[in-house]
Amino acid sequence: MNLFNESTAQLINESRRRFLKQSGVAAGGLVIGVVIPQHAMAKFTQGAEDATFNPNAFIHIAENGDTLIYCGRCEMGQGISTALPAAVADELEADWSRVTVLQADGNEEKFGSQATGGSASIRTMYIPMREAGAAAKEMLIAAAAKVWATSAANCKADNHFVINTLNQQKLSYGELASLAANSPVPAKPVLKTKAQFKYIGKDLARHNQGDIVQGKLTYGVDTKLPGLKYAAITHCPVLGGKLKSCDKSAALKMAGVLDVVEIPRFDIPFGSIGGVAVVADNTWTAQQALKLLKIEWDLGANQSYDTNAYKAMLVKNVENPAEVMVERGDVQKAFTDAAHVVKATYTGGHLSHSPMEPNASVVWVQKDSCEVWAATQSPADIQKVLGQYLKREPKDILVHVTMAGGAFGRKFKCDYVHEATVLSQKVNAPVQLTWSREEDMRTGYYHSINAQHIEASLDKSGNVTGWMHRIAFPPIASLFNPAQGKATKDDVAEIANHPFGIANLRSENGDAPAHTRIGWYRAVYAIFYGFAYGAFADELAHQAKQDTLSFLNKVYDNNKDPKDAEKVRRSKGVLALAAKQANWDKRGALPKNQGLGIAVHYSFNTYVAMAVLVEVNGDDIKVLEVNAAVDCGQVLNLDGATAQMEGAVVMGMSYSLRTEIVFKNGAVVNSNFHQYPVLRINEMPVVKVHFVENDEKATGLGEPGLGPFAPALSNAVFAASGKRYRDLPFTPLAI
Amino acid sequence: MSKSIVINAKSYAIDVPDDMPLLWFLRDKLELTGTKFGCGMGLCGACTVLLDGQATRSCVMPVSAVAGKSITTIEGLSAKGDHPLQIAWIENKVPQCGYCQAGQIMNAAGFLATNKTPSSDDIDNAMQGNICRCGTYQRIKQAVADAAIVMNEGMYKEVK
Repeated sequence: MNLFNESTAQLINESRRRFLKQSGVAAGGLVIGVVIPQHAMAKFTQGAEDATFNPNAFIHIAENGDTLIYCGRCEMGQGISTALPAAVADELEADWSRVTVLQADGNEEKFGSQATGGSASIRTMYIPMREAGAAAKEMLIAAAAKVWATSAANCKADNHFVINTLNQQKLSYGELASLAANSPVPAKPVLKTKAQFKYIGKDLARHNQGDIVQGKLTYGVDTKLPGLKYAAITHCPVLGGKLKSCDKSAALKMAGVLDVVEIPRFDIPFGSIGGVAVVADNTWTAQQALKLLKIEWDLGANQSYDTNAYKAMLVKNVENPAEVMVERGDVQKAFTDAAHVVKATYTGGHLSHSPMEPNASVVWVQKDSCEVWAATQSPADIQKVLGQYLKREPKDILVHVTMAGGAFGRKFKCDYVHEATVLSQKVNAPVQLTWSREEDMRTGYYHSINAQHIEASLDKSGNVTGWMHRIAFPPIASLFNPAQGKATKDDVAEIANHPFGIANLRSENGDAPAHTRIGWYRAVYAIFYGFAYGAFADELAHQAKQDTLSFLNKVYDNNKDPKDAEKVRRSKGVLALAAKQANWDKRGALPKNQGLGIAVHYSFNTYVAMAVLVEVNGDDIKVLEVNAAVDCGQVLNLDGATAQMEGAVVMGMSYSLRTEIVFKNGAVVNSNFHQYPVLRINEMPVVKVHFVENDEKATGLGEPGLGPFAPALSNAVFAASGKRYRDLPFTPLAI
Repeated sequence: MSKSIVINAKSYAIDVPDDMPLLWFLRDKLELTGTKFGCGMGLCGACTVLLDGQATRSCVMPVSAVAGKSITTIEGLSAKGDHPLQIAWIENKVPQCGYCQAGQIMNAAGFLATNKTPSSDDIDNAMQGNICRCGTYQRIKQAVADAAIVMNEGMYKEVK
């Protein structure tokens, strides 16, 4: 479990506790068992006023039956604004074609935690959202029963109507809306059974795809307001640097330029690292004027950061003894008694999220208000940062959450909103700040550069008897505490908690002080833990002269700890499914230059195995087909879940094969997509996605697809060519 | 000095600096925001529009250079969102975040105007200038192929 997971879980727990506490003392309001605070419900109880039915913050049914369902979580393409509202609609027995989904503004009092990351939205909100729908349905049924002077047991809801089962009379949800507002709120609404699901688990189109294909959907960068000014920005290229001087004269003379604004470093997490911005009457003019600034930076202590040298240092740190984190059994004895000891070192580079929509926001600061329009993964953090900056209450910062044109973790950290706030305040107008692609790439919160060294002992039968796993990477925790110069205890817990059955184990933690901002990147540490575990297992299997699939099954079977039984069973389940679908048993018949690799990884409470088929000609690696097997419990939207796996393969291919953010002299060298060559359509393999059918709890899919991909690819390349790739990316672009 | 340009069948005066790329004229002056900014260097294709029917990167095309020409943006591709490409995109459930999709669709529209019976490789070659970070390529490919078949047979379907 990573830091992100923990903090998200903590947020949810806090919010649940608050809700339970408040619901206990609330009088007269609607009490339904969702993780949203009760007192926020009060304002929705008087729906009769406008004849709409607002049983809770998420559902609004109008007199004509038109139904709004709010999505509290942020949408960045992962499909949550379809999956969760469809679950509400299912329990509500709503007609999906009558439902309009709206993205909620930032308001955690009303909607519960809106922090969207850690693949947590489905895991935490699936049941509460269903309860919200079920409670509303029971209230509609109660209203109809009252009209018909019968009992609720004689009524059923179906497709936006309540039906009297005694005489087949019908009342529409619209007709019932104002009456239902007075229905008692069910204490514990009854949820549907799996067999009764109408939308959950089915193939649903994204609610907004019609707008997308017509160019009508507005993203953060598309916000328009009367009197809007446009801004461009450049940042200090080195973390911790400061502006020394800035000659603004030429820029200020340019027609259309309104102001040139120095933005000092705002030294709190997710605040600006400092820069200079131009405000103009259009974005192009602002961008051009920016080039006329003569800026000198005092680059500060991080100006010697060089990722090539740093990575070499991390390798040295993991190939030498480091701080012991967990020790169980006797690793030394296992190594002494071993038939073989296998050693390998794995590395990975920094990554930039590079969503297609660069960082952008509109902010309008006025005397008594502050309004934000932005793609964000965490509106509450915007409220917190801006509240602190403007010295106002966070709740007084109104955040309109727009569709995000991709995010992948970057838009959790809204420095670009803080900057637009500074600019709006300065020019006293609404300001749209759009970062250039170059700024987006060079002023990121990067996926952690990393190194791992594993040594494992095998007995004569090829059982793993000992495992020494040493890691070194600058942690995300360094964002919040710069003194955190190595991974945290929680970051390393992954190793001792891994469900491989290994009696003698030691984890060690090497030094890795951060010299840039490290941030959550889709799948976070699962990218490199998944890589090391999956690739090293293949190396061990090869040494033990066993088939990787049987070897993995055996390592899992050797885990006899009852608390790991579920992880063992489900990991093996997805492995078996991926292997079957990829014809693992027939891989011997593949052409000589083709190879099949397999790996499995558990992350964010979801299990994914991937089998990757490649063709290798010299250094040229062509990925032909990927079979992904997924166990995420109950699937909400089959199509959306499938899309997440397709996306994981594409992102995995980018960072496995080529992309890496490189620092020299403290600054990022990559400037745009020609130096950060993400995957393009001509390299797209066939991706087939398979789901394990079961009744486990629903878990998220935004991230878990990444962990197993890189190792399965590396293993496939080995099978095809005999060459091991232990570094991500395999073949970095020389820049 | 009164240069003008036709965008989605409507004429507009070009009242911005000559070197302003068409992209920013569309987005900031006309507030036609369907055409997206992605890279500013013609590397990602998010800004693709049709210039006299041909797919063009609007982020590197000075608006003055296209004076007198006719531009089609995603907003003008069809009256009701029922161009065969739009329908194919819907039927294949292509978009994830959707940010790149206007550029993908416009690029495909320009391509299918010149190649009525594209092979899989033809689609790859034509579409590889358009980046999608969410990873919708498999579906884009299918949607372009589907639309090509529909357009070639002159079949049009109503969007739901």
